[in-house]
Amino acid sequence: MSPRPAWFPLDVGAPFRLGPRVLPGRIWTASGCFGYGLDAHDITADGFASAHAGIGVVVTKTVTPEPRSGNPQPRLCELPTGALNSIGLENVGLAAFLAEKLPRLAERRVPFVVSLAGTAPRDFGAMCAALAAAARDVPGWHGVELNVSCPNVAHGGVDFGADPGTVEECTANARAHLPDRVLLTKLTPNVARLAPLAAAARRGGADGVTAINSLIGLEVDLSSGRPVLPRRIGGYTGPGVLPVALAKVDEIVRETGIPVVGVGGIASADDALKFFALGAVAVQVGTAQMRDPFAAATVAASLAPAGG
Amino acid sequence: MNEASGAAAVRCLARLRTQRQVSDSGLRLLELELPRPLAFAPGQFAMVNLVGPAARVFARPFSILASDGTVVSLLYRVVGGGTGGLAGAPTGTVVTWLGPLGRPFPPPAGPESHLLLAGGVGLPPLLAWRARHGGPDDLACFGARDVADVPWELLGPDWQVAVDDPGPAPAGRTVAHGTVVARAEGLLATGGAAAGGARRILACGPLPMLRAAAALALARGWPCLVSVEERMGCGYGVCRGCVVPARDGGWLTACQDGPVLEAGALDWDRFGHREAGPGASAPPRGCGCGGPEARS
Repeated sequence: MSPRPAWFPLDVGAPFRLGPRVLPGRIWTASGCFGYGLDAHDITADGFASAHAGIGVVVTKTVTPEPRSGNPQPRLCELPTGALNSIGLENVGLAAFLAEKLPRLAERRVPFVVSLAGTAPRDFGAMCAALAAAARDVPGWHGVELNVSCPNVAHGGVDFGADPGTVEECTANARAHLPDRVLLTKLTPNVARLAPLAAAARRGGADGVTAINSLIGLEVDLSSGRPVLPRRIGGYTGPGVLPVALAKVDEIVRETGIPVVGVGGIASADDALKFFALGAVAVQVGTAQMRDPFAAATVAASLAPAGG
Repeated sequence: MNEASGAAAVRCLARLRTQRQVSDSGLRLLELELPRPLAFAPGQFAMVNLVGPAARVFARPFSILASDGTVVSLLYRVVGGGTGGLAGAPTGTVVTWLGPLGRPFPPPAGPESHLLLAGGVGLPPLLAWRARHGGPDDLACFGARDVADVPWELLGPDWQVAVDDPGPAPAGRTVAHGTVVARAEGLLATGGAAAGGARRILACGPLPMLRAAAALALARGWPCLVSVEERMGCGYGVCRGCVVPARDGGWLTACQDGPVLEAGALDWDRFGHREAGPGASAPPRGCGCGGPEARS
């Protein structure tokens, strides 16, 4: 267990305010790395009530206006310092999410933020309106994270989230339907500077930004001399992106002051502490959650105050 | 434990008890010591990873061969860095364990006998199933590339063995030349091995073998369950990395919907097809194993 350093004042398991909402804790799971928040409830481990114990917020798998079947195989490529994924935003679509997943999230009392992606700025407003209407009375629904930066999708993707004007427009459209829930815009790292995008998100009304989404990566199969993944590129995540994420979070915090939820390569309490040291208000555990369903729970337990 | 749906998973540390080679080609039998006795159903698997600097980004899936109290047996083949690291690990090495996971081969559903088809490192689920549920009229067939790839000590004399490349069998054992499905069809056609009556096919092995098993089942009108393999990330359903094509046009996860699936639920035309995207590669299928066994 990582000892809590003297400079670290936060109780990561204590409720804290972000925008219009009080959130249950500061250790979250990242979108795409813990499903819809409905898995792993029956997995047991010594020392934990469940794999969800101590997790402040589960950010759901990204939901799109219509169902998406995702990309063909292969979808994953493990690397020495991380992994490439090309899942292709496979998801059930908003209607099925609201009809099938939302009631189960409510029943299980999962604290969650819904990750949303669209193909046009207007999609974000329409999706948030539908979500707000359906989830208004679900206490565990804390907000929305806008995925304007997933690099896996042929349409939209990086260019969509790399333009400050578009980021602002998407965020504003969502904000209009979310008066009392947290709104985060998740930023792509595949640009020279993130501060302008963070500022655009704030102009659009975001309560904070999530940084960073996956880096664009590519691996070559030397037996064929061709890319491993069917779309050539994939999202690079895991331990190797940690210093990139820290640099981007630092840039955003110092240049904009907007609250940042840090994500990228966190696999331990020490990794999480580095984001908090730079001013992140919360952190998300992503790829590590795929290796161990108790990864976020372990980080939360490790950072709990003594006797807490 | 529900034999039809399998046992719930435990996440813990385990200790490497023994491992040794059980075929001339390098199939390895691994025994892990868990903190407490493990319940599992045949066909379920576990995600195993080394710890510390040797840990891989993703754990590797292994079908469970047997459990005896706290000792769990796995069968694997070295196909890459993950399994290579495990093969080099000495007794006492601590590994992470997450399992059992996935849907198992169900117990017998009626009076019909069974045809068990195992290929290569796809053997564990069917050995486990036979030990727990096998009946006197079942026909069990194992297929491999050659005799060096046959783990003779794990296969009782009541297992039929077929190999692609002919070679001498050990004293007292016989081996047929050809595919395991062809061997089974031959035995059924000649009336050997209690050929009469309908059977339920249970198959675990490389994709061509599963495809042939599904075709055999379709031709005979028999039910067929196959254990599928695909490259896995999480093993517990959240990453959607290990999907296989469903007949309805969507996907099923090998780790959570499977690994054991009805053959009729799969789209066999799309299964194993690596889309030729712009410059996309079609990586080799790896070890030729079946089920979710570690492939890299």
